[in-house]
Amino acid sequence: MDDYQTCPKCKTTKYRNPAMVLMVNACGHALCESCVELLFAKGSGACPECKCPLRRNNFRVQLFEDPAVDKEVDIRKRILKEFNKRQEDFPTLREYNDYLEEVETIIFNLVFDIDPAGTNKMIDNYKKENKDITQKNRNRQSQEEMELEELLEAEKAQQSEKANLYVNAELEEKKQKHKAREKLIDELMFSDADAKSIVASHVQATAALAKEQPKAAAQPSSGVVKSSKFSSGVQIGLRGQHTNSFLPIPKQEDLPLYRYTAPVFDYDGPPPPAIEKLGKLNYFANIRAANITERAGGYTEAMSCCRALQEALGGLFYSPQLTHKTAVLATNSSTQDTDDMETT
Amino acid sequence: MKLNVDGLLVYFPYDYIYPEQFSYMLELKRALDAKGHCLLEMPSGTGKTTTLLSLIVAYMKAHPLDLTKLVYCSRTVPEIEKVMEELRKLMNYYEKEMGMEQNILGLALSSRKNLCIHPSVSKEREGKVVDGRCYSLTASFVRARHAADDAVPICEFYEGFDAHGKEFPLPPGVYNLDDLKEYGQTKRWCPYFLARHTITHANIVVYSYHYLLDPKIAEVVSKEISKSSVVVFDEAHNIDNVCIDSMSVKITKRLLDKCSNSITILETTISNMKENDSKRLEKEYKRLVEGLRDATIARETDMALVNPVLPSEILEEAVPGTIRTAEHFVAFLKRVVEYIKTRLRVQHVVQESPAGFLRDIHTKVCIDRKPLRFTAERLASLIRTLEISDLTDFSPLVTVSHFATLVSTYTKGFTIIIEPFEDRAPTVSNPILYFSCLDSSIAIKPVFNRFQTVVITSGTLSPLDMYPKILDFHPVIMTSFTMTLARPCILPMIVSKGNDQVAMSSRYETREDTAVIRNYGNLLVEVAAAVPDGIVCFFTSYLYLETIVSSWYDQGIIDQLQRHKLLFIETQDAAETSLALINYIKACDNGRGAVLLSVARGKVSEGIDFDHHLGRAVLMFGIPYVYTQSRILRARLEYLRDQFQIRENDFLTFDAMRHAAQCLGRCMRGKTDYGIMVLADKRFSRADKRSKLPKWIQEHLKDTNCNLSTEECVQICKRWLRQMAQPFSREDQLGISLLTLEQLQSEEMQKKIQQRAQGV
Repeated sequence: MDDYQTCPKCKTTKYRNPAMVLMVNACGHALCESCVELLFAKGSGACPECKCPLRRNNFRVQLFEDPAVDKEVDIRKRILKEFNKRQEDFPTLREYNDYLEEVETIIFNLVFDIDPAGTNKMIDNYKKENKDITQKNRNRQSQEEMELEELLEAEKAQQSEKANLYVNAELEEKKQKHKAREKLIDELMFSDADAKSIVASHVQATAALAKEQPKAAAQPSSGVVKSSKFSSGVQIGLRGQHTNSFLPIPKQEDLPLYRYTAPVFDYDGPPPPAIEKLGKLNYFANIRAANITERAGGYTEAMSCCRALQEALGGLFYSPQLTHKTAVLATNSSTQDTDDMETT
Repeated sequence: MKLNVDGLLVYFPYDYIYPEQFSYMLELKRALDAKGHCLLEMPSGTGKTTTLLSLIVAYMKAHPLDLTKLVYCSRTVPEIEKVMEELRKLMNYYEKEMGMEQNILGLALSSRKNLCIHPSVSKEREGKVVDGRCYSLTASFVRARHAADDAVPICEFYEGFDAHGKEFPLPPGVYNLDDLKEYGQTKRWCPYFLARHTITHANIVVYSYHYLLDPKIAEVVSKEISKSSVVVFDEAHNIDNVCIDSMSVKITKRLLDKCSNSITILETTISNMKENDSKRLEKEYKRLVEGLRDATIARETDMALVNPVLPSEILEEAVPGTIRTAEHFVAFLKRVVEYIKTRLRVQHVVQESPAGFLRDIHTKVCIDRKPLRFTAERLASLIRTLEISDLTDFSPLVTVSHFATLVSTYTKGFTIIIEPFEDRAPTVSNPILYFSCLDSSIAIKPVFNRFQTVVITSGTLSPLDMYPKILDFHPVIMTSFTMTLARPCILPMIVSKGNDQVAMSSRYETREDTAVIRNYGNLLVEVAAAVPDGIVCFFTSYLYLETIVSSWYDQGIIDQLQRHKLLFIETQDAAETSLALINYIKACDNGRGAVLLSVARGKVSEGIDFDHHLGRAVLMFGIPYVYTQSRILRARLEYLRDQFQIRENDFLTFDAMRHAAQCLGRCMRGKTDYGIMVLADKRFSRADKRSKLPKWIQEHLKDTNCNLSTEECVQICKRWLRQMAQPFSREDQLGISLLTLEQLQSEEMQKKIQQRAQGV
């Protein structure tokens, strides 16, 4: 991400020379370390960009991406050393806020070189006026800082306490286990009871203990990804070399699509009663009811009854003398019924 | 039917009622009477929504002073629509029975994206873009500019609403999102602002969790809801994660780069404004000096930016002097962003507390805690003053400002984790700063404090005692209801070993073991051969799913499976998954039968119902533990242990089991439905896991079914399926799991219900 950092003087980039370090001085212009050594061999010189006089020992490593921020922070630190009044030094919050803004303006002016003479005068005035308070405040932490320090202290204390606690708990557990084992051995050696029952009771006791402190079930971390085909990088078929391990479902050849044509029946008989009415007409009295297994498959007694009736009535009108014509007529009238029956 | 629930007349819009619905009403009424919070678990498919609505509406009618409003929070838009349908049914029933128009106003609220009727804005697909464009048409300064210059575009619907809509309240009735849009179209009023305006006086409001839990949104939308309301969180088994997400911030390198861009934009706008129209900046400055809170904040259209929760005593205070003027504030922002950039330049993982972060930012760039706290509010004020109408570009900067405010406000319950790269790709540098909330009670605390009754309900809340702990509240009622069933419609089984007696488990040590993978495969094949229609399988992670499927290819199990059913797989790609789902449903509808392989915690496991033939069996391969190596999770576990005395293992098991229960619950969506639930892991049979399943599943999980082999499992399935395939009609249910009014009032049943209510 820092690859595009370039030294403005020698044009070296971080990409070409990973060891390059950019430095900044009071003016906020960056220079790489070797350029600094070259240009400021005498200990002082002018900034190659803004020509302002600089000292070599004031060069620091650039911390931020934008060197202007480095410069600002630098100025800010210097100013805040002097302007260190706290809220407690002001009668009202409003005045404190006004003071804060004033400080901010001074810093802003210094950073952007607005009215340097006036600003410096202001700083000097302030220094003179507030010498005592500045001196006093230097040794005093602000309330906020103290709060933060306290919090951090508390956190640290808690952490060490916790660490102790866990170490102790672990030791305790180990001890207990050891004790239990020794107890078992003792009992086996000296007690008169049956060895089996002693072991059984021991197993129970340890199980109860284990239940109290169940071990964390280690959840696996992401395993090693072996190959790539899925989004997470798993290939379909681990040994992808002989891929024909997958047997495809045999394909059928393309045949013309099947078309349904209603079959024509020579029924030759009176139409049997409809399947829904069989129950009402009391036909089921003579038939075994379907059992549970059969009903699960969708079978009902009405089906077989209907079938039997159809068979019984079909062909009753058949007579060999009649010509084929009448038979066709009869079927025409009864196709409706038979069709229904097919679909049910 | 009209019910008498503990002395309260309840209109119930159906002719029949389930006994557990009646018990649910009893418990809910007790909680309302006590004005306390409650936690209720009732299986999905037993009519939770209609029960809740009918009781609460009846209560509102009976005690109009004690209970003024119902806020019903749901997760997704389809769920919101379902609630509105139930409410409509209920109101129609009221009208039919009482013979007059009911004076109850119920409405649904969703984002602008779902409610916008502006001809061009509503065409946008992304929510953020719709919000941004809406803002650019309706912000107060845009409208002021329009008044001066007609060429500035504004939204005619908002203008219509602003001119007339506020005086005429919405007539009583039930409005879902489409109704609102239609109403808006006929009146030429903006439905979104109409709905938001109406929330204050509507009796029933249905919206998403975020409008109440996300402090950034809640401040705007739900501010004026009175204390005497009841808040219902439906499907709330993940509520702790929603709370945590709403308070967490994730900052990437790219986001910071975008921030730098927006800061430059701010700089140029400020300098332009200084030249042309310096008055406005001065005005803002004066206001800040006076320490007045922003007067315009009340303007509803300007609220695209709000600060995350700040204690009100801080908000009363004036903005500190360091960031009062616009230029100083922009320089301040620049420093913050640059500072975070340097923090992202790490080589190894850093974890630190907010206090540590504050100290470091103070020493490095001299930023105090106080101005940081005001960052979000100051930025909102600045953007308003600068009249920037396109807010979409500024969302990264807003995120950073939220981060700054949160980090300086809360020192407990949060942690900062900076990871230089992802665990999966340790060579690619991709630094991310997670500001992660560890304490789910922080976000929900204001809700519990503000409203007299909060109802948390879901089909799977077991183990119930965990929720009060992690959300830090004291429920007056905590009950789990079971399903009364006329026949044993669910068949939970724990399959612990294959036919070869090798234990089945997704434990890390054995998960690569071919024997385990083969046994899982055999189980699936045999179940697929025995069970008709759809089968849904859940794996613990995408990675595990894919490894297993790839070895199933090698072992020929996929081929065997495809002889019986078609196979579909959920992937991380949402489009791909929804395509697979459509085809899965098609295959089930055809009667071809299908198997869907999906992942617990994935899209399929949350919110997609596999009712009736779509899910005759659910197989859970392994226990769905979270990825425990994640540092955020580690930090949260540690926090839970220190603050709430919840042991790591307890929480992990709780989390795994609630997701397992969610998956299993997918196949049971009603009383006429039936389904097999196979838990294929040896560890499920342990008491600590088993006892964490919801009561309605545990009840059917017999001891004899807790340690089965594949063969035994298939035998039991076959026998059970034959039993279930018997014709089943309403008459069979009546009197046992479905009651008419007379049956409900019969003494025997009343006694039973009372017992049930006391027993739990």
